[in-house]
Amino acid sequence: MTTATKPNAFFQHFDRHAHGKGLKGATTHYCPGCGHGLAHKFLAEALVELGVEERTVMVSPVGCAVFLFYYFDTGNTQAAHGRAPAVALGHKLANPNSIVVSYQGDGDLASIGLAEIVHAAQLGVPISVIFINNAIYGMTGGQMAPTTLMGQKSATTPYGRNPLHGKPMHVSEMIATLDGAMYVERCALYDQRQRKRAKAAITKALKLQIEGRGFGFVEILSECPTHWGMTAEESEAHVKNVLEKVYPLGVVKDESREPWFHLEKPCHDPEKVLQVLETTRETPPSFLAGRFPTHLDAHDVALKFAGAGGDGAQTAALLVTKAAINEGFDATHIPSYGPESRGGTSYADVHVAKDEVLSPAAPEPHVLVAFNAPSLDKFGPTVQPGGAVIYDSSVISRVPTLREGVRVFPVPCGQLARELGTVMVKNTVSLGAVQAATGVLHDESFLTALRLSLANKRAMLPVNEEAYRRGVQAVQAQLAQAH
Amino acid sequence: MATERPKVLLQQHLCKGCGRCIESCPKHAITLGTEVDQASGLVPVMIDEEKCNDCGLCISACPEPFGLMREEYELEHPEHLFGERERPRATPRDVPPHDVPLPRCEPMVLKGNYAAAVGALLAGCRHVFGYPITPSTEGAELCAKLLPKLDGVFLQACSEVATVNHMYGASGAGVPTLTFTSSPGFSLMLEGISYMIGAELPGVFINVMRPGPGLGNIGPEQADIKLAARGLGHGNTHAIVLAPSSPQEMLDLTMLAFELSLKYRNPVIVAADGYLGQITGRVTLPTKMSVPGLPDWAVWGDAEHRNNLINSIYIDWADLEEHNRHLSAKYRLMEETEQRATGYRHEDAEVLIVACNIPARMAKAAVAELRDEGLSIGLFQPLTIWPFPIKQLVPLLGHAKRLIVVEASDGQLEDELRLALHKADVTGLEIHHLRRMGGMLPSDREIVAHVHQLLEVSR
Repeated sequence: MTTATKPNAFFQHFDRHAHGKGLKGATTHYCPGCGHGLAHKFLAEALVELGVEERTVMVSPVGCAVFLFYYFDTGNTQAAHGRAPAVALGHKLANPNSIVVSYQGDGDLASIGLAEIVHAAQLGVPISVIFINNAIYGMTGGQMAPTTLMGQKSATTPYGRNPLHGKPMHVSEMIATLDGAMYVERCALYDQRQRKRAKAAITKALKLQIEGRGFGFVEILSECPTHWGMTAEESEAHVKNVLEKVYPLGVVKDESREPWFHLEKPCHDPEKVLQVLETTRETPPSFLAGRFPTHLDAHDVALKFAGAGGDGAQTAALLVTKAAINEGFDATHIPSYGPESRGGTSYADVHVAKDEVLSPAAPEPHVLVAFNAPSLDKFGPTVQPGGAVIYDSSVISRVPTLREGVRVFPVPCGQLARELGTVMVKNTVSLGAVQAATGVLHDESFLTALRLSLANKRAMLPVNEEAYRRGVQAVQAQLAQAH
Repeated sequence: MATERPKVLLQQHLCKGCGRCIESCPKHAITLGTEVDQASGLVPVMIDEEKCNDCGLCISACPEPFGLMREEYELEHPEHLFGERERPRATPRDVPPHDVPLPRCEPMVLKGNYAAAVGALLAGCRHVFGYPITPSTEGAELCAKLLPKLDGVFLQACSEVATVNHMYGASGAGVPTLTFTSSPGFSLMLEGISYMIGAELPGVFINVMRPGPGLGNIGPEQADIKLAARGLGHGNTHAIVLAPSSPQEMLDLTMLAFELSLKYRNPVIVAADGYLGQITGRVTLPTKMSVPGLPDWAVWGDAEHRNNLINSIYIDWADLEEHNRHLSAKYRLMEETEQRATGYRHEDAEVLIVACNIPARMAKAAVAELRDEGLSIGLFQPLTIWPFPIKQLVPLLGHAKRLIVVEASDGQLEDELRLALHKADVTGLEIHHLRRMGGMLPSDREIVAHVHQLLEVSR
């Protein structure tokens, strides 16, 4: 037997409806005979029966139900066309204890908002979706919906929906294929039995959410007497005799799942935040006592590391940057990549400045490290007079014409690295070579930066330290020979 | 039945006469009406009280909330009918965010995108939504890595359109929220930003701008100044647009963005460029971090916030005009209060370079070089692109009569400058420009040459 209590998930008075003036304070904006009012009623009753109306957030769509918030005495958010499930997820993830209902029509959900509903259903975060399918756009004036039946006339299918417009979309069946959807049922409103089922389905979907079990989806075949050009009675018969034949009623999917959805309260403990950021309170040792390498430039030294993706140019550049900052200088690193994740060009500009790096690009570096021939060809000639070029002589055999007084150091970085058992450290070899060739920082500046960088990969430290030393030795040998 | 059931009553003036109750009645007591109700202008159904046994099935068939009721609600006018609310509602408390001291630690070495992510964490943001797009991805990646350790949420959305709507929902619930994106993605978010502005929702958008139009490439460009300053979706929209030029400012201005965003209940755009997202440098953490509260307007989903509504639809035209006037007053307050700029050797300069983001760095280097040559030149660097910092610029125009706008776009910054000058009734200035596009940046050398040429010509 029907309970007589007016569900208090409805406002007592619809103040938001045209300021609640006159009869609008107590009636809906829906046309006579529209199914929305019934769906609202069952939803409101279910919220109260489940005792969750106080923590419920209703997300209104765009479409006839855009004014859901006139009626529901719950938290309310009105979403952009099609985006209600995305908005609902935002609410649910912000407050996992809230009960979030996304209420959408067929244009909103099945056309413009298809991506949002599909991904929300696949994600499976427990929200409840009420999908009103009346096979037509209501609010915009009776145009074709994705669910419009074949042959059905609408404002945009004046001769009836034909194959050019495709076939009607079976949304519940599609949603049921998605892993996150726990429960999917299609209901109707045309008689007492169907109404009872619809109410039960809404209740079940909400319960799934309350228990943290999963995503519930209830499709309701609803009447649109206005745009179908029928009376309410004819509309009910139309759902029963026509719509239901295309969209069979019943449970499409019902899986049980243990309650799983749970989010802790976010942490705002400063100590924990610093720990997560991996900050340190220990000042790393410095070795230059602030003495800037003025033999290279009075204020600002520019270095460029260039090669192919995977050569380690970026890592080497970052290490110089960190080492220089540890020494109390300002330093910047800017990478530049091709579109490829591996194998494309990859170069890095580094600046080390006494006070402040102004322009961070290095179109004319003091130091170039080139890991392949194209890089050397491209950037070698840009190196400033008096600068230094270090190139991987295990893969580069030809040096382009350089500017005056540029010193050149062929270092077989790749080969030396392979001798140490891993080609990955060839960039570390190059760092040793840079320091030996230019004296930009201090050996210990680089080795300290290496240790700090490899704090979580300690096993890699010895081979890197050795690689660095090999680089130093390679350049020192050349310098000794030159003298 | 032994106990008497309360009577079913038809609220005639609330009945739209659809007749859905007719079929539901086992006693066939209801028929379509014939007389127009004078209050509603509609024709309500009629119930034959002789036949009605008050079973109430018609109530559950009626689409109107109050069309058919039990007699316990019997009263004539709806306002009398439903009386006072059952439970008086508590007015939601406004719980503002508060600062807590952050222990001192060593400066970090971070790339711009990471610095902005760290700024978000220190601003108390624990809800980040995003869709991967170069050159902004590292920001989302760091959030995805760190937020779970702080019981926060990073959700990778199915698109930028979904992203901004996740933010709309989370922000509507009252939590600070942020995304990282880049120009094509920002374009997709504009609709949602318009909704957020309309619904007065905070939210921080880190737009690591890249060149266009269309797919363009993944280099640096100040491609979206016009979008951020003038084109935030449909309607009368504005948002504060912050323009960092270093990893440190990526952190600092992101934190500021959260503060301003909540203060004005409006999105804030941090307009960075592709270089800034990627540049690594020294970043000193602040001495305090922010712990969010819960604003009184939030649709949090509890009894206290039950009456709240997040909404941008005002169906009555006069209501919407009033809402626009309210937003407009906020925009004027932002213009009045939030103009920010910095500079370099600009106090006495006769020539001013106007530049922001990474081009400001190149300009700074050029100024240093040109000052060494003895030229009276300086850099004026807007930190807010909207509102344009005209208040900070005007006092400099007593000595500076010549401006050179250096930018990585086709005059988008210059348009903002010219509009601000025009609105401030400033005339008699010579305005020149140096523009690069497509990922090409104005180099310091190029700026120096440009200034040389300019001064040569005008001498």
